[in-house]
Amino acid sequence: MTLKDQVAIVTGGSRGIGRAIVVALAREGAKVAFVYRGSADAAKAVEGDVAAAGGVAKAYQGDVVEPATGDRVVEAVLAEWGRVDILVNNAGVIRDKLFLQMEAEDWNAVIGTNLTGAFAFCKAVARQMAFKQRSGRIINVSSVAAEHVNVGQANYAASKGALNSLTRALAVDLGRRNVLVNAVAPGFIETDMSQAVRNLAGEDNLKKLIPVRRLGKPEDVAAVVVFLAGPAAAYITGQVITVDGGLSLGAVSG
Amino acid sequence: MSYDDILAKVRTTLVDALNVDDNEVTPTARLKGDLNAESIDFLDIVFRLERQFNLKIPREELFPESIFSGDPKFVNDGKVNADGLIELQTRMPYADLSDFRKDPRLDKIEDLFTVDLIVRYLESKVANK
Repeated sequence: MTLKDQVAIVTGGSRGIGRAIVVALAREGAKVAFVYRGSADAAKAVEGDVAAAGGVAKAYQGDVVEPATGDRVVEAVLAEWGRVDILVNNAGVIRDKLFLQMEAEDWNAVIGTNLTGAFAFCKAVARQMAFKQRSGRIINVSSVAAEHVNVGQANYAASKGALNSLTRALAVDLGRRNVLVNAVAPGFIETDMSQAVRNLAGEDNLKKLIPVRRLGKPEDVAAVVVFLAGPAAAYITGQVITVDGGLSLGAVSG
Repeated sequence: MSYDDILAKVRTTLVDALNVDDNEVTPTARLKGDLNAESIDFLDIVFRLERQFNLKIPREELFPESIFSGDPKFVNDGKVNADGLIELQTRMPYADLSDFRKDPRLDKIEDLFTVDLIVRYLESKVANK
């Protein structure tokens, strides 16, 4: 177990990639606090699954778009477990629309959760990690869409591109205090969130865009998060690790 | 609280914040030049001093790092002019400017941030509390 007795916070932890990250961190021995917005039943199930496997996971309800959520959750976790070693900003939403149909509300909702929500949680842990512990890992879950954009994703692509820049900027600001900040950029992963795109494009068509010829599983992404959180990644910071089976290489199949 | 009492507390604070040895924290030691402090450390030091002395240290009061930002009123050709020196003394009444006056290059301002400066600043803060 590479993360024994460490404390992690994962946003958007009840479903999809976030759920896999919670499970994977807990399997490595971390105590995991995760934030969920609406899926109370799913959150309960995650707690139960992790406990059944001998791990510790605790759900906190909250919407990362609310400015106070980060401080509230981090304070609660510090009161309960006394430290925060790992923060995974995973909560993310999509509101795909052609730009001509995209309203400010669509823009603000996506930027608010995907970017400002991450900022708020980073702020909430920064003092603890940089000044009190002098150690910490922040891992932002980005997307290949930051660089390789699909139609109708101006808000989403912008939020993830900015998240990559935030990752690099925090790595520079906090490196002196041994807080390492990285991102993972998943491609097409089998989650509820990617279902619409998969339906629209057709899975077989999507697979042809991916050199390894399969969609990713949430566990594929979680494994990289565990790596970035663990001792093997002690000298990596400010990087965006693409986890997409080669999708972003843009190869033509045949 | 005497100068030496405050110095002892400041020493503890700097040893913790900067991972330096006790004996390195002399009154003349410069935070950047001698104790290798960086900007994030200045922030940490301010937070720690606030806790240690139970007082509020307004931003940019103790360490006005961006004191002139090259304002032509105070700086010409990278050197702080006469008006600038007056401004500096007003903003940092605790600083000993005697050496700086001899060679008032803007990039030398950081040499004013010494352990002694912190102690003298805190002396006045504690007295006025």
